[in-house]
Amino acid sequence: MFEREVNPEKIKKAEFVVAIPSYNEADSIAFPVHQADKGIQSFFGNMKSVIINCDNNSSDGTKEIFLGIRTSTPKIYLSTEPGIKGKGNNFRNLFKKIVDLDAHGVVVVDADLKSIMPNWIKHLGEPLFQDFGYVTPLYVRHKYDGTITNSIAYPMIRSLYGRRVRQPIGGDFGFCGELAQIYLQSDTWSDAVANFGIDIWMTTIAVNENIPICQAFMGRPKIHRAKDPGSDLGQMFRQVVGTIFNMMIKFYPFWSSVKWSKPTAIFGFGLGETEMPPAIRVNKKTLFQKFHEGFDRYGHVWEKVLQKETHNKLREIKEMDRDRFDFPTHLWINALIDFAIAYRDKLWRFDELLDSLIPIYLSKTLSYVIKTERMSIRESEEFIEEECVQFEATKSLLIRRWDGR
Amino acid sequence: MAKILVVDDEEHIRLLYSEELSEAGYEVITAADGYKLTERIDKEKPDLIILDIKMIDYNGLDLLQEIRNKFYDMPVILCTAYDTFKEDIKSIAADFYVIKSFDLTELKNKIAMALEAEIPSS
Repeated sequence: MFEREVNPEKIKKAEFVVAIPSYNEADSIAFPVHQADKGIQSFFGNMKSVIINCDNNSSDGTKEIFLGIRTSTPKIYLSTEPGIKGKGNNFRNLFKKIVDLDAHGVVVVDADLKSIMPNWIKHLGEPLFQDFGYVTPLYVRHKYDGTITNSIAYPMIRSLYGRRVRQPIGGDFGFCGELAQIYLQSDTWSDAVANFGIDIWMTTIAVNENIPICQAFMGRPKIHRAKDPGSDLGQMFRQVVGTIFNMMIKFYPFWSSVKWSKPTAIFGFGLGETEMPPAIRVNKKTLFQKFHEGFDRYGHVWEKVLQKETHNKLREIKEMDRDRFDFPTHLWINALIDFAIAYRDKLWRFDELLDSLIPIYLSKTLSYVIKTERMSIRESEEFIEEECVQFEATKSLLIRRWDGR
Repeated sequence: MAKILVVDDEEHIRLLYSEELSEAGYEVITAADGYKLTERIDKEKPDLIILDIKMIDYNGLDLLQEIRNKFYDMPVILCTAYDTFKEDIKSIAADFYVIKSFDLTELKNKIAMALEAEIPSS
């Protein structure tokens, strides 16, 4: 039977909320719920708290599993209407509930997390009761994990909006109740935001609203259900990158006034030795092949969208050997600028436009893999930082191009 | 004229930075340690802080956390003789870091960038 909300303890007010979005997570949701409960009891025991599962009306019994878990903290189950899917739609329900509950702080963690500990709740939540309104996670990630973050989301958010948020689409984060109201009132909601675009949308709005941001060190890598990167990439890529481009249109007056970037405060130390993430293997041959296939499949789109020099340069690097493949950072920045402007000017159907950026992104990833092969995680972080400085230094070019000059 | 606070326990570094940065057009004030640093910042209201990481009784990275928590957007440049500090995640709360050198070109570039950095109010 469909139920929009199940609130067994009839909770009407709460100061602190831990929310767990889900869709068919019956086999994994128990662990994060237990950890969240322990975290709340250990670190927020003096506050009225609640654990909320915001679900897409899962058919695998997620609701029953969630409500059946014994916790000291009360629980509320929320669902989208039958047939309505998407992580962002779950969040929209959550925002409304946060406003109803008049909550001060909200921590969100993924339902398939295997590495969450109670102190993750502390680290993501405690800054919300100090001077911060938005908390993003800092995980130690393998250098080949999170390549959309490393190549697009982090450098673009940083260079556009001026705030260095290393994991803007980390999935686990904290936000203040005031932001829930701001999110509900935003006129930038879209189909992409209703799905995987939600994380980058929330971060972008928080930065644009000048909400004080803090990054919380988690001490452990994020380990969750393994996904096949090949099968998930298209949809996720379209929604995340499409949201970034869409927000650029809306927030031009803000980002065109931003110069360079500023760091954030860091929270969460004293965790002992940091646990290193598991290694990730990358198939360089596939990345190379997909770039080459892109010329046949999307050559006509690239010709229309990319500036002549950028297109010529792409053809030039196509001739490189796989093992010495090099995609220069400035070429990647120019390609992103061209695509952002093409998106704004509706030069091509959105889905195909964003899909056509994927082979270029994969070739940039191949170049990153080759350049960082012998680097430690720290050295590869420095490499990404240097690329970000190039993004920032190219800001005036972006503004000139955006203004049609 | 931008005011720069140099926090370093080595006197010759404080002197070098004071002379060179004053010549470059900045007003320079100095502190030999981190004692009551946030109170001093409150009082002196510098536009930027150059902070040594390893001082005899103070850890610059801990001081950085205190500064960042109290003065959210205060530009801070970390200075160090060794780059091993980058292993510590706390270092990313700094605007920039520079390796100590008698040639202050890089430091001056970073100071200019940090002072230029601007995020408009929404």
